[in-house]
Amino acid sequence: MKENREGIRGWLNPSRYGINRFAYWLQRLTGLGLLVYFIAHISETSNVVYGKEAWDKMLEFTQTTTGHIVLIVVIGMCVFHAANGVRLYIAEHGRGIGNPGRPEYPYTPTSLNKGMKALVWISMALAAIAMAYGAYILFSE
Amino acid sequence: MHMRESSIMKVHYYTGLAAIVLVAIHVLFRLTVPEGYYASLEYENVLANYKNISYVVVLELILITVAIHGFNGLRVILLELRQGNIWESAVRWLCIAGALAVLAYGTRTIILASMM
Repeated sequence: MKENREGIRGWLNPSRYGINRFAYWLQRLTGLGLLVYFIAHISETSNVVYGKEAWDKMLEFTQTTTGHIVLIVVIGMCVFHAANGVRLYIAEHGRGIGNPGRPEYPYTPTSLNKGMKALVWISMALAAIAMAYGAYILFSE
Repeated sequence: MHMRESSIMKVHYYTGLAAIVLVAIHVLFRLTVPEGYYASLEYENVLANYKNISYVVVLELILITVAIHGFNGLRVILLELRQGNIWESAVRWLCIAGALAVLAYGTRTIILASMM
Protein backbone atom coordinates (compact mmCIF):
# COMPACT_ATOMS: atom_id res chain seq x y z
CA MET A 1 0.00 0.00 0.00
CA LYS A 2 2.76 2.43 0.97
CA GLU A 3 4.31 2.42 -2.51
CA ASN A 4 1.00 3.74 -3.87
CA ARG A 5 1.14 6.82 -1.65
CA GLU A 6 2.71 9.46 -3.82
CA GLY A 7 1.69 12.45 -1.70
CA ILE A 8 2.62 15.88 -3.02
CA ARG A 9 4.87 14.31 -5.71
CA GLY A 10 1.73 12.70 -7.12
CA TRP A 11 0.04 16.10 -7.31
CA LEU A 12 2.95 17.77 -9.01
CA ASN A 13 3.88 15.06 -11.53
CA PRO A 14 3.71 17.05 -14.81
CA SER A 15 3.72 13.93 -16.99
CA ARG A 16 0.06 13.41 -16.10
CA TYR A 17 -1.10 16.94 -16.82
CA GLY A 18 -4.25 17.54 -18.76
CA ILE A 19 -6.31 20.68 -18.28
CA ASN A 20 -8.48 19.01 -15.63
CA ARG A 21 -5.46 17.86 -13.64
CA PHE A 22 -4.05 21.36 -13.90
CA ALA A 23 -7.38 22.72 -12.60
CA TYR A 24 -7.33 20.15 -9.74
CA TRP A 25 -3.83 21.23 -8.72
CA LEU A 26 -4.61 24.94 -9.08
CA GLN A 27 -7.83 24.62 -7.03
CA ARG A 28 -5.87 23.18 -4.11
CA LEU A 29 -2.97 25.61 -4.42
CA THR A 30 -5.29 28.65 -4.57
CA GLY A 31 -7.35 27.23 -1.69
CA LEU A 32 -4.28 26.97 0.53
CA GLY A 33 -3.12 30.44 -0.53
CA LEU A 34 -6.53 31.92 0.25
CA LEU A 35 -6.63 30.23 3.68
CA VAL A 36 -3.23 31.77 4.53
CA TYR A 37 -4.46 35.18 3.28
CA PHE A 38 -7.74 34.82 5.25
CA ILE A 39 -5.83 34.25 8.52
CA ALA A 40 -3.39 37.10 7.73
CA HIS A 41 -6.30 39.42 6.82
CA ILE A 42 -8.08 38.72 10.12
CA SER A 43 -4.82 39.41 11.93
CA GLU A 44 -4.11 42.69 10.05
CA THR A 45 -7.65 44.06 10.38
CA SER A 46 -7.64 43.35 14.14
CA ASN A 47 -5.36 46.44 14.40
CA VAL A 48 -8.49 48.58 14.12
CA VAL A 49 -9.26 47.93 17.80
CA TYR A 50 -5.86 49.35 18.90
CA GLY A 51 -6.55 52.84 17.54
CA LYS A 52 -5.65 55.05 14.56
CA GLU A 53 -1.89 54.85 15.11
CA ALA A 54 -1.84 51.04 15.01
CA TRP A 55 -4.15 51.03 11.96
CA ASP A 56 -1.98 53.53 10.04
CA LYS A 57 1.15 51.56 10.93
CA MET A 58 -0.47 48.41 9.50
CA LEU A 59 -1.41 50.32 6.30
CA GLU A 60 2.19 51.53 5.95
CA PHE A 61 3.23 47.87 5.96
CA THR A 62 0.54 46.57 3.55
CA GLN A 63 0.00 49.54 1.19
CA THR A 64 3.32 49.13 -0.59
CA THR A 65 4.22 47.90 -4.08
CA THR A 66 4.94 44.44 -2.66
CA GLY A 67 1.66 44.54 -0.70
CA HIS A 68 -0.23 45.50 -3.87
CA ILE A 69 1.37 42.66 -5.86
CA VAL A 70 0.42 40.19 -3.11
CA LEU A 71 -3.16 41.54 -3.17
CA ILE A 72 -3.34 41.22 -6.98
CA VAL A 73 -2.22 37.56 -6.71
CA VAL A 74 -4.86 37.05 -3.98
CA ILE A 75 -7.54 38.55 -6.27
CA GLY A 76 -6.53 36.12 -9.03
CA MET A 77 -6.53 33.16 -6.64
CA CYS A 78 -9.92 34.17 -5.24
CA VAL A 79 -11.62 34.56 -8.64
CA PHE A 80 -10.14 31.36 -10.09
CA HIS A 81 -11.01 29.37 -6.94
CA ALA A 82 -14.59 30.72 -6.95
CA ALA A 83 -15.23 30.22 -10.69
CA ASN A 84 -13.62 26.77 -10.80
CA GLY A 85 -15.47 25.91 -7.58
CA VAL A 86 -18.79 26.71 -9.30
CA ARG A 87 -17.68 24.39 -12.16
CA LEU A 88 -17.01 21.63 -9.62
CA TYR A 89 -20.39 22.28 -7.97
CA ILE A 90 -22.09 21.88 -11.37
CA ALA A 91 -20.12 18.67 -12.06
CA GLU A 92 -20.88 17.31 -8.56
CA HIS A 93 -24.57 17.59 -9.43
CA GLY A 94 -24.04 15.56 -12.59
CA ARG A 95 -24.41 18.47 -15.04
CA GLY A 96 -22.12 18.92 -18.01
CA ILE A 97 -20.08 15.76 -17.51
CA GLY A 98 -21.72 13.63 -20.20
CA ASN A 99 -23.47 10.28 -19.97
CA PRO A 100 -21.69 7.16 -18.76
CA GLY A 101 -20.64 4.91 -21.63
CA ARG A 102 -18.44 1.97 -22.56
CA PRO A 103 -14.78 3.05 -22.68
CA GLU A 104 -13.61 3.11 -26.27
CA TYR A 105 -10.33 4.08 -27.86
CA PRO A 106 -8.77 6.66 -27.28
CA TYR A 107 -10.43 6.30 -23.84
CA THR A 108 -11.20 9.97 -23.33
CA PRO A 109 -13.26 10.27 -20.15
CA THR A 110 -16.68 11.84 -20.77
CA SER A 111 -16.10 14.14 -17.78
CA LEU A 112 -13.29 15.83 -19.74
CA ASN A 113 -15.65 17.15 -22.38
CA LYS A 114 -15.38 20.48 -24.18
CA GLY A 115 -17.80 22.26 -21.82
CA MET A 116 -15.84 21.40 -18.69
CA LYS A 117 -12.52 22.26 -20.35
CA ALA A 118 -13.98 25.57 -21.54
CA LEU A 119 -15.12 26.39 -17.99
CA VAL A 120 -11.56 25.89 -16.70
CA TRP A 121 -10.27 28.34 -19.32
CA ILE A 122 -13.11 30.77 -18.52
CA SER A 123 -12.16 30.57 -14.81
CA MET A 124 -8.57 31.46 -15.70
CA ALA A 125 -9.69 34.28 -17.99
CA LEU A 126 -11.96 35.74 -15.28
CA ALA A 127 -9.05 35.59 -12.81
CA ALA A 128 -6.80 37.44 -15.29
CA ILE A 129 -9.46 40.15 -15.87
CA ALA A 130 -9.98 40.59 -12.13
CA MET A 131 -6.21 40.83 -11.57
CA ALA A 132 -5.94 43.50 -14.28
CA TYR A 133 -8.83 45.47 -12.72
CA GLY A 134 -7.27 45.09 -9.25
CA ALA A 135 -3.92 46.34 -10.57
CA TYR A 136 -5.68 49.32 -12.17
CA ILE A 137 -7.41 50.24 -8.88
CA LEU A 138 -4.32 49.72 -6.71
CA PHE A 139 -1.78 51.46 -8.92
CA SER A 140 -3.88 54.22 -10.50
CA GLU A 141 -4.73 56.27 -7.37
CA MET B 1 -20.51 11.20 16.39
CA HIS B 2 -19.29 11.76 12.82
CA MET B 3 -20.98 13.55 9.96
CA ARG B 4 -21.09 11.58 6.75
CA GLU B 5 -18.46 12.72 4.24
CA SER B 6 -21.20 13.43 1.66
CA SER B 7 -22.92 15.77 4.15
CA ILE B 8 -19.61 17.51 4.93
CA MET B 9 -19.04 18.08 1.21
CA LYS B 10 -22.54 19.57 0.87
CA VAL B 11 -21.63 22.01 3.65
CA HIS B 12 -18.34 22.67 1.81
CA TYR B 13 -20.11 23.55 -1.44
CA TYR B 14 -22.84 25.67 0.16
CA THR B 15 -20.39 27.64 2.34
CA GLY B 16 -18.30 28.19 -0.81
CA LEU B 17 -21.27 29.54 -2.78
CA ALA B 18 -22.34 31.75 0.14
CA ALA B 19 -18.77 33.05 0.51
CA ILE B 20 -18.71 34.15 -3.17
CA VAL B 21 -21.75 36.40 -2.60
CA LEU B 22 -20.60 37.69 0.80
CA VAL B 23 -17.00 38.42 -0.28
CA ALA B 24 -18.36 40.25 -3.35
CA ILE B 25 -20.38 42.52 -0.99
CA HIS B 26 -17.27 42.98 1.20
CA VAL B 27 -15.17 44.04 -1.82
CA LEU B 28 -17.92 46.36 -3.12
CA PHE B 29 -17.81 48.19 0.23
CA ARG B 30 -14.19 49.12 -0.58
CA LEU B 31 -14.82 50.02 -4.22
CA THR B 32 -18.03 52.07 -3.90
CA VAL B 33 -16.65 54.77 -1.56
CA PRO B 34 -16.95 58.00 -3.63
CA GLU B 35 -13.51 59.26 -2.53
CA GLY B 36 -11.86 56.09 -3.85
CA TYR B 37 -10.30 52.84 -2.65
CA TYR B 38 -7.58 54.40 -0.47
CA ALA B 39 -10.07 56.70 1.30
CA SER B 40 -12.16 53.61 2.13
CA LEU B 41 -9.18 52.27 4.12
CA GLU B 42 -8.85 55.36 6.32
CA TYR B 43 -9.32 54.63 10.01
CA GLU B 44 -12.53 56.67 10.38
CA ASN B 45 -14.14 54.99 7.34
CA VAL B 46 -13.19 51.50 8.50
CA LEU B 47 -14.49 52.18 12.01
CA ALA B 48 -17.75 53.53 10.52
CA ASN B 49 -18.13 50.20 8.64
CA TYR B 50 -18.06 48.33 11.96
CA LYS B 51 -20.92 50.52 13.26
CA ASN B 52 -23.14 49.57 10.29
CA ILE B 53 -25.12 46.61 11.63
CA SER B 54 -25.87 45.15 8.16
CA TYR B 55 -22.17 45.21 7.29
CA VAL B 56 -21.25 43.68 10.65
CA VAL B 57 -23.64 40.79 9.90
CA VAL B 58 -21.97 40.36 6.47
CA LEU B 59 -18.50 40.33 8.12
CA GLU B 60 -19.54 37.73 10.69
CA LEU B 61 -21.12 35.56 7.97
CA ILE B 62 -17.91 35.81 5.90
CA LEU B 63 -15.96 34.76 8.96
CA ILE B 64 -18.19 31.72 9.55
CA THR B 65 -18.50 30.56 5.91
CA VAL B 66 -14.83 31.08 4.95
CA ALA B 67 -13.53 29.52 8.20
CA ILE B 68 -15.68 26.40 7.67
CA HIS B 69 -14.94 26.20 3.93
CA GLY B 70 -11.22 26.97 4.31
CA PHE B 71 -10.43 24.60 7.14
CA ASN B 72 -12.56 21.82 5.65
CA GLY B 73 -10.68 22.34 2.38
CA LEU B 74 -7.41 21.97 4.28
CA ARG B 75 -8.77 18.79 5.91
CA VAL B 76 -9.70 17.36 2.48
CA ILE B 77 -6.22 18.12 1.09
CA LEU B 78 -4.47 16.56 4.10
CA LEU B 79 -6.66 13.43 3.90
CA GLU B 80 -5.89 13.10 0.18
CA LEU B 81 -2.19 13.08 0.97
CA ARG B 82 -2.30 10.49 3.73
CA GLN B 83 -4.79 8.14 5.37
CA GLY B 84 -5.02 6.28 8.67
CA ASN B 85 -7.16 6.46 11.82
CA ILE B 86 -4.73 8.52 13.93
CA TRP B 87 -3.88 10.88 11.05
CA GLU B 88 -7.55 11.40 10.09
CA SER B 89 -8.57 12.05 13.70
CA ALA B 90 -5.64 14.45 14.27
CA VAL B 91 -6.37 16.35 11.04
CA ARG B 92 -10.08 16.60 11.89
CA TRP B 93 -9.49 18.03 15.37
CA LEU B 94 -6.67 20.31 14.19
CA CYS B 95 -8.94 21.80 11.51
CA ILE B 96 -11.87 22.20 13.95
CA ALA B 97 -9.52 23.93 16.43
CA GLY B 98 -8.11 26.17 13.67
CA ALA B 99 -11.56 27.20 12.47
CA LEU B 100 -12.76 27.91 16.03
CA ALA B 101 -9.63 29.97 16.84
CA VAL B 102 -10.04 32.11 13.69
CA LEU B 103 -13.77 32.50 14.37
CA ALA B 104 -13.17 33.57 17.97
CA TYR B 105 -10.41 36.06 17.08
CA GLY B 106 -12.35 37.57 14.16
CA THR B 107 -15.55 37.86 16.21
CA ARG B 108 -13.58 39.56 18.99
CA THR B 109 -12.38 42.21 16.49
CA ILE B 110 -15.92 42.75 15.14
CA ILE B 111 -17.42 43.13 18.64
CA LEU B 112 -14.67 45.43 19.98
CA ALA B 113 -14.61 47.62 16.85
CA SER B 114 -18.39 48.00 16.78
CA MET B 115 -18.32 49.20 20.43
CA MET B 116 -15.59 51.85 19.88
